[in-house]
Amino acid sequence: MLRKIMFHGRECPHCKAMMPLVEKLIQETGIAVERLEVWHDEKNADLMRSFRPAIAAKCGGQLRVPTFIDPDASDVMCGEVPYETLKAWAER
Amino acid sequence: MQKKFWRCYVCNDIHWGVKPPDLCPTCRVKSAYIETPSREARTILDQPLADGPDFSRDDFRRAIETFARDNEFRVNPDPVKVESLLDGLFANEENHGLKYCPCRLRTKEFEEDIKIICPCHFPAHETYKGQEQGECWCGLFIKR
Repeated sequence: MLRKIMFHGRECPHCKAMMPLVEKLIQETGIAVERLEVWHDEKNADLMRSFRPAIAAKCGGQLRVPTFIDPDASDVMCGEVPYETLKAWAER
Repeated sequence: MQKKFWRCYVCNDIHWGVKPPDLCPTCRVKSAYIETPSREARTILDQPLADGPDFSRDDFRRAIETFARDNEFRVNPDPVKVESLLDGLFANEENHGLKYCPCRLRTKEFEEDIKIICPCHFPAHETYKGQEQGECWCGLFIKR
């Protein structure tokens, strides 16, 4: 089964906006998306930092949220995007 | 007239005075200073500075409006978005020491992390620069 991680911040408006789209993605495709909050959970924050080279390369040199990552391929997409963009990224 | 701390959002220079400098003496950017709490000034300079005035959430709200007034951007008119961001900024100050952007994670490297204190130097970012409807990454500031 495909596995993805979404790093998000509790108070980040873009992350909040993406949550229903991620729910829809999970229900429609069966892709497992682990949603990990990074500002209030240091373990999740450290996990996100461990992907820093891959994330920074795609996210303006920074650890931005929301960030979607395929942890096996280190394939990264960040920011608030339309549902079709999220789905296309998750299924590739 | 009470002196306050002011921070340049471009280069993080700290000024102690009644008014902010019109022009940052270091990076030469106009209208770049925002009122900042003494805790933030101390951390950035790593020096035991005098206590400035208390700095509440309302003070920060006022400070960002004043800061934006003389610039080409404004505070986002969506109050729900703004309050969510202020929740995050103040939670980050409480939990991690500074008002880090709630939409980016700190790296734990000081020189990198002071770049994401709000307001950051967002006009240089791709979400703002060259965009007709540019905004900072988190959306607290948007182009007029």
